[in-house]
Amino acid sequence: MSDNNPYIPMPVQIAKITNEVDTNDIKTFRFTFLNKEDEEKFKYTPGQFGELSIYGKGESPIGIASSPTELGYVEFTVQRAGTIVPGLVTAALHDLDEGAQIGLRGPLGNSWPIEFLENKNIVVVGGGFAFTTLRSLINYMLYKDNRKRFGEITVVYGARNPGLLLYKDELAEWEKRDDIKTIITVDKGNETWKGREGFVPAVCKDTAPSPKDAVAVICGPPIMIKFTLPVFFELGFSKENILTSLEMRMKCGIGKCGRCNVGSQYVCKDGPVFSLAELDQLPRDF
Amino acid sequence: MLKKTAIEKISQLAAVLMEKGTLLAPVKEVAGHNFAEINDPQKVDLNFYNTIISPKGAFFPPKEDFIKYKIGKTITEAEQIKVDSKPVFLFGVRPCDVKSFSIMDIHFNAAGIIDPYWSQRRKATTIFGYAYDLNQPVDAADFYNSLGIYAADPEGSDIFMVKKDKDLLLKGITPKGEELLAQLNTLVDAGKDDEKYYEETLKKGKEYKTRFLCIDQDVIAKKLEAVFNNNDFWTKVSSACLSCGACTFVCPNCYCFDICDDTIFGKGTRRRVWDACMFTDFTLEASGHNPRTQVYQRLRQKINHKYSYHVKKYGVISCVGCGRCTRSCPVNIDIYSIVEEALKL
Repeated sequence: MSDNNPYIPMPVQIAKITNEVDTNDIKTFRFTFLNKEDEEKFKYTPGQFGELSIYGKGESPIGIASSPTELGYVEFTVQRAGTIVPGLVTAALHDLDEGAQIGLRGPLGNSWPIEFLENKNIVVVGGGFAFTTLRSLINYMLYKDNRKRFGEITVVYGARNPGLLLYKDELAEWEKRDDIKTIITVDKGNETWKGREGFVPAVCKDTAPSPKDAVAVICGPPIMIKFTLPVFFELGFSKENILTSLEMRMKCGIGKCGRCNVGSQYVCKDGPVFSLAELDQLPRDF
Repeated sequence: MLKKTAIEKISQLAAVLMEKGTLLAPVKEVAGHNFAEINDPQKVDLNFYNTIISPKGAFFPPKEDFIKYKIGKTITEAEQIKVDSKPVFLFGVRPCDVKSFSIMDIHFNAAGIIDPYWSQRRKATTIFGYAYDLNQPVDAADFYNSLGIYAADPEGSDIFMVKKDKDLLLKGITPKGEELLAQLNTLVDAGKDDEKYYEETLKKGKEYKTRFLCIDQDVIAKKLEAVFNNNDFWTKVSSACLSCGACTFVCPNCYCFDICDDTIFGKGTRRRVWDACMFTDFTLEASGHNPRTQVYQRLRQKINHKYSYHVKKYGVISCVGCGRCTRSCPVNIDIYSIVEEALKL
């Protein structure tokens, strides 16, 4: 950020655009930094986010989808918003081509608590589009120098249909590996789908990961979270060992503008990652 | 150092300050007094109770420009706007408002990332605090005593001013204030009786009583937390609320802001502007989800943020009892009474 002013975005260039889904409304943007010093300063941990900035449109807080072990670029998976609230920034971004320049502020927020996760068995549960910072975490843990720092890794990832699964190539890679258990499910398959069908909560119940020395990291739509949590409570996971990432409307991203305030916390600065035990301390105001 | 000047000669002092930098002082407007940048020294008017809008705008202006950009140009061509580093004199600030700055300092200038705009403006500014006129009655809306603030409290001011009949006494409080005071040649040295009057006023200020609610901040913070889900209570106390946000705009301690891009004819400015938790779209997410669609939820947020969340996060209530929200509310909602009601639950 120029002159260390946290409100001024740094310039980045779109190096690669990947269309993730059949509906064409979710794309992964790979950005490279225009200034080497910005790249060096942008040291992030999985679970953090950035503010994507397009002058004339505004800024959007988006979770970082790449892993810090991937050097030279940073990736964000962005859904074109607009069915209910017009999404100016995401729409403008979706209309850009590779080579275009935009602004980026960050990294922002806390992160998945890496030290806390070390030497534990990690159960990652994701639903639909809310898989981006989970992908960052998984790729971070799978990185060759990092893998031994974590116990067993189990991933349960579901989408409404096969066309809506993100990172399809990576999912296939993970399925081939023997140091990660990858369970992909869709609510409803199609003629070419050979994988599992079923809702995420039910699949978690079938998979029945042991709560012993384990942490569950869960992100997804509210309806998925609602039915998944009881499964994990039943399996014996404590609230301290279930983590999630909170959504609130944000602007500044640095705990100043007051917009994402919930109880004594600013979700953008003190979060977005909270354990269920921490969420229990907050008023139900999100 | 204690100095003095005749109040009728205040324009001479104003003229000297205008030579040294930017002068922000109360001026009379149609509806009452407000702080404004002084271009004509005759406009400074100390004949006021308190301003309609708080002086927080000196450090946190209603609009703060960040960047100028042009549509079609690259991001690297955008121009960052610097804060003017000229000295600023904030003249005639009531003690409760001076206190509000130190509370805002925790948020903008101490906790986590430092806000560069607040920080630079604060550094460039000399504060002339001004005791309430103890011969005038207290406004019924005020309750700063409840927050441990008194009518003639010099704490936080660089120079503190007390009105003595037709004279204005000026006392240097900080080294910055002392230094400036020594340079102001329109002032004369105060006499022994002035010294005595000044000291007595500070003492008498403690006896000048506003409404008083015995607020142990931890007790009230916990109480509000405990009644969060009492929807009957919040619905009742917010039933008249229009959700207009006037209370937040006049407040010295409300700091919520929006960041927006304002483009016209291909040229634009990214700036922050005051915003308010009382507005319906404040928490409206891109998904369409909005955790605070109801008026009672937003009023609850405003009160809890000041009296509960802020205490938990920063160890201090985010209110100085200046009474502005009560005076400005079109439907006479009184935050003091709501807190009082909550304590009875």
